[in-house]
Amino acid sequence: MPTIQPVTDNKTLCYHCGEPCPNEKIHIAEKKFCCEGCKMVYQILNENSLCDYYSLNENPGINQRIVVRKDKFALLDDEKIKTQLISFKDDTQIHITFYLPQMHCSSCLYLLENLHRVNPGVVSSKVNFARKEVDIVLLTKETSLRKVAETLTSIGYEPYISLNDLKEKRPAIDKSMVYQLGIAGFCFGNIMLLSFPEYLGIDASEVGLRAVFRWLNFVLAIPVLLYSALPFYESSWKSIKHKFLNIDAPIALAIIITFVRSAIEVINGTGGGYFDSMTGIVFFMLIGRIIQDKTYRQLSFERDYTSYFPIAISVLKDSKEIPTTLPEIKTGDTLLIHNEELIPADGILTKGKAFIDYSFVTGESIPVLKEMGELVYAGGKQTEGNIEILVVKKLPKAILPNYGTEMNLKSRRKINFIRPPAEPVFHLYCFTIAATTAVYWQINDPSKLWPAITSIFIITCPCALLLSNTFTNGNILRILGKNRFYLRSAQTIEDIARITHVVFDKTGTLTSANQQNIFYEGDGLTEQELNQVASIASHSSHPLSRALSKHLGYGKDEEVSQFHENTGRGVQGITDDGTFLKLGSAEFVTEQKSNTSGTNVYISMNDKVKGRFVFSNQYRENVEPLLHSLKRHYNVSVLSGDNDAERENLKKLVGEKSELLFNQKPEDKLQYIKDLQIRGESVMMIGDGLNDAGALKQSNVGIAISEQTNNFTPSSDAIIEAKQLPRLTRFIRLCIANRKIIIASFVLSIVYNIIGLYFAVQGTLSPVIAAILMPSSSLSILLLTFGSSSLLSKNMKM
Amino acid sequence: MSVILILLIASISVAGIFLFAFLWGTKTGQFEDDISPASRILFDDKPAQPKPNNK
Amino acid sequence: MQVEKFYYDNKIVKAFGIATIIFGIVGMLAGLWAAIQIYYPAISLNLAPTTFGRLRPLHTNAIIFAFVGNASFAGIYYSLQRLLKARMFSDKLSWIHFWGWQLIIAAAAITLLLGITTGKEYAELEWPIDIAITLVWVIFGINMFGTIIKRREKHLYVAIWFYIATWVTVAMLHIVNSIEIPVSFLKSYSWYAGVQDALVQWWYGHNAVAFFLTTPVLGLMYYFLPKAANRPVYSYRLSIIHFWALIFIYIWAGPHHLLYTALPDWAQSLGTVFSIMLIAPSWGGMLNGLFTLRGAWDKVREDPVLKFMVVAVTCYGMSTLEGPLLSLKNENAISHFSDWTIAHVHIGGLGWNGFIAFAILYYMIPKNVGH
Repeated sequence: MPTIQPVTDNKTLCYHCGEPCPNEKIHIAEKKFCCEGCKMVYQILNENSLCDYYSLNENPGINQRIVVRKDKFALLDDEKIKTQLISFKDDTQIHITFYLPQMHCSSCLYLLENLHRVNPGVVSSKVNFARKEVDIVLLTKETSLRKVAETLTSIGYEPYISLNDLKEKRPAIDKSMVYQLGIAGFCFGNIMLLSFPEYLGIDASEVGLRAVFRWLNFVLAIPVLLYSALPFYESSWKSIKHKFLNIDAPIALAIIITFVRSAIEVINGTGGGYFDSMTGIVFFMLIGRIIQDKTYRQLSFERDYTSYFPIAISVLKDSKEIPTTLPEIKTGDTLLIHNEELIPADGILTKGKAFIDYSFVTGESIPVLKEMGELVYAGGKQTEGNIEILVVKKLPKAILPNYGTEMNLKSRRKINFIRPPAEPVFHLYCFTIAATTAVYWQINDPSKLWPAITSIFIITCPCALLLSNTFTNGNILRILGKNRFYLRSAQTIEDIARITHVVFDKTGTLTSANQQNIFYEGDGLTEQELNQVASIASHSSHPLSRALSKHLGYGKDEEVSQFHENTGRGVQGITDDGTFLKLGSAEFVTEQKSNTSGTNVYISMNDKVKGRFVFSNQYRENVEPLLHSLKRHYNVSVLSGDNDAERENLKKLVGEKSELLFNQKPEDKLQYIKDLQIRGESVMMIGDGLNDAGALKQSNVGIAISEQTNNFTPSSDAIIEAKQLPRLTRFIRLCIANRKIIIASFVLSIVYNIIGLYFAVQGTLSPVIAAILMPSSSLSILLLTFGSSSLLSKNMKM
Repeated sequence: MSVILILLIASISVAGIFLFAFLWGTKTGQFEDDISPASRILFDDKPAQPKPNNK
Repeated sequence: MQVEKFYYDNKIVKAFGIATIIFGIVGMLAGLWAAIQIYYPAISLNLAPTTFGRLRPLHTNAIIFAFVGNASFAGIYYSLQRLLKARMFSDKLSWIHFWGWQLIIAAAAITLLLGITTGKEYAELEWPIDIAITLVWVIFGINMFGTIIKRREKHLYVAIWFYIATWVTVAMLHIVNSIEIPVSFLKSYSWYAGVQDALVQWWYGHNAVAFFLTTPVLGLMYYFLPKAANRPVYSYRLSIIHFWALIFIYIWAGPHHLLYTALPDWAQSLGTVFSIMLIAPSWGGMLNGLFTLRGAWDKVREDPVLKFMVVAVTCYGMSTLEGPLLSLKNENAISHFSDWTIAHVHIGGLGWNGFIAFAILYYMIPKNVGH
């Protein structure tokens, strides 16, 4: 079986998108392009003198080989759809926000904010880079929503309008914690300042001044008590309602006790209190919270199927296309599905030949051929030409078993309480000491009882512990995020550290959705013949042709004449030396039914069948070492929706012990995870397609794999970029280390507690000691947590 | 050192102005996007030359 | 609606730029002259106006308010319009600001040389000039906030926050410190007495450094450094955080100028503690500036603007480390009346402010020619 080496000489790169050019024919002056689409974008930019686009970054463009259908945005002329999308409208203007997933660099920013030069009807366009959105104001007299969408598309930024946009607008980011932080910072700073005389002593002549300072402190502490500390009260109240004490409870208690005691001291004129410590704690803990709650706004962990589907689809009525929003589609409607569009409902193919890519659903990207009369399922993407289907079943219940019903289960488990290790021990320790001290002073000197007990609560306040928790978590989230492994929340770190069983989906997860193994069977082909095959293939936009042409190095300097594409069957053409080449399905090339399964592309030259290219899924790079290292610590299983043709290969990869299950339907996967959990396992599931959605939700940690970070992934706890998958073991190790760091800082904070308690139980905790202990313990714990987690990640080469 | 009171009042009121500015900035989303503003200043649209010269 | 056409006011930038150059030369010559007198007293020409005692305040005032002040205004008028995508609120106010400021400088030069002074460092000018400064400052404020209000760009770039902080704080400092009782047209006495006056004076004096020589110049750095290097600032988030940290801490570092004086002990220590805390935000700013040049150091080899910037930012880092160290009591016991303090001031004044001024002049002048 002769295999072919891909052609790997240096190719000219496209001036626009940086991808290799198949040939050097498409060019403007010196600038070469890979396709007409890229060239067109360049021309538009050039005409509008926006070529700074290219000087800011090298080859900043987005590949334009897939041509967007001309009337794709006709739906934006529909009044009903329009009103649902726009955010503001008056007689002259429309304000709208488009989501542009292609946005990636400062060139994009430059171009999009200069949109008015390409389309003068645009008054302003403002990019929000973090969210990959652009806010556009346009003049209704000069242009329309549709035209603006088309302008954006023409320069390579096709707006992504999904069914999700029909739902209510995303809630604004909660800024209240930032307000609370600002106020805490302001009060803390000024209180610290005003406490200086307290620390360092003040002359007898200035006692009046001291009283003023104390009262000022009192006043400044009130907003912190009543407003900035709210998150701690809320969280501890919630935990009490669920009948357990979380870490915020003693903190809330300490804040209140400190305030009350300090207030009493100030009112009685006996001392200055500990307002500085109290506000400082709140301030630092809020910083920790904010760092920990860092969100990846451009990612969505909560996507459901509505983000996958277009907002509207063309319904054919009396041979007229009527754009209709998805919820309004009824059984019995005839839908016109254009090339590259997602099928929004199950239906019967009534016209055209369907080549359906189900990678959204199964992870399998090689298109499946469907003939007229066959059933097509929602979630597939048509890849060649237009088709018409008759709706038999609305929205994709069929492919999403129990979607939504599982939500409750998970959300109950996911109450976001941070439970540090040894927490009950901590409560016990705290109350024992307080009780002992109380008894001691009750016997010896009752007047010292309350000062001593309140001091204990001030000192043993687990703020250091909470700080170590939030700051370590925050730092780990940051490090993982830098390595393209995005966690939904800090809770996920804990969950990852606890897993015992790892479950992989096969297709699209262990195998790559974008890359196929291609090998050739048949008569040997010469270098030149291969080149001819490649050039013919590069003329077609069919996924198989594209993959083949890429595999063979695109083919260069080969003229193809009389090129003809038979939709869904194959391509043909005549090359420079007069060879008549045919490329396509068995039926098309050999004129007999194919007798093998799998995906094949046959070739013939001058009507003589030469052989075929066989396409198969390719395992991702370094999957093997990943599985090996995982196997050492965890049970590993692989679930696959496909037949068991791959069983032997997989066995080699995952070993004898691991479970391999084939022909798994979505509900089977879900059930499998449930069964594992009933057996007491804590499961991590890694999957990609919609068919994994249920299982991902059910598992303790669901990780969605994504080829590009801005691609769409099913709802999950974490998103990992496909290239990073081999490093998963390291990421898990880091999450486990997170626990150890927190325990270490816990020990450190106990040391501080003991020092503080030494003073507290004697009832002699002076404000200076409190003022020194509080920041020094906090700072050293911050250093410890940040330092050790960063060091660790360095050691792990992240 | 009664003058310290004057300084305190002055300083705290200025700090109060800044606190207000901070809250205003947060509320109006001034600190929301911390990526694009840094790049945005690099692009000079040349308002003095409505017809940009073709390089 | 048509796309609006408007022009930035570059003339005012040019005027402030020229003033910067002139007063840079004047101020530095005055400094040189004063310095030579230390080892060659005869160069004072035996005239009262040119003695060390009168040249020194002339030098400090000329450098701070005339040279760095004009440079900051030039940079602010240039960058503010571009950052807000709007012309200045009022050209008339711009020019009143310009000529008012130059007249104040001229009046300062004359009165200082004649020995008319309040005796408070960096606030030597007598009460009529103080009032003039207040008026001009208010005019500048109206012009700046007016421009901010009519801006076409929703986001306020971090540099603008620095400008706002400068305006607000300097206004407050100047007014509080300059409360004085006039006894004649050219003589007044401070409203405060003794050590109280000293505390107010140095609370002002240090903050003059902070809010007249540091915040506006940091704002300039955040605009001109990325522009000159043609790459975005290293971390915009860091710049925002460091701004707010700096603003809330800076104001209390003043008492470190009064170590070992009659000032209460706790107030002295307060100055020291806040000075030490300042290292963090200051270095945040410096590193942010230097890291912006990451991967662009080849440009530094070629571009004089960036060369000046690199020196300036490095000097900023050095002087903000040195300052807190000098404010430690045991350290200060040795260094206080030595030349070290003067050297420290020059790292800040010449190294940081001066070199930024040179950098922005080199940046703006070629762009202003031909308009």
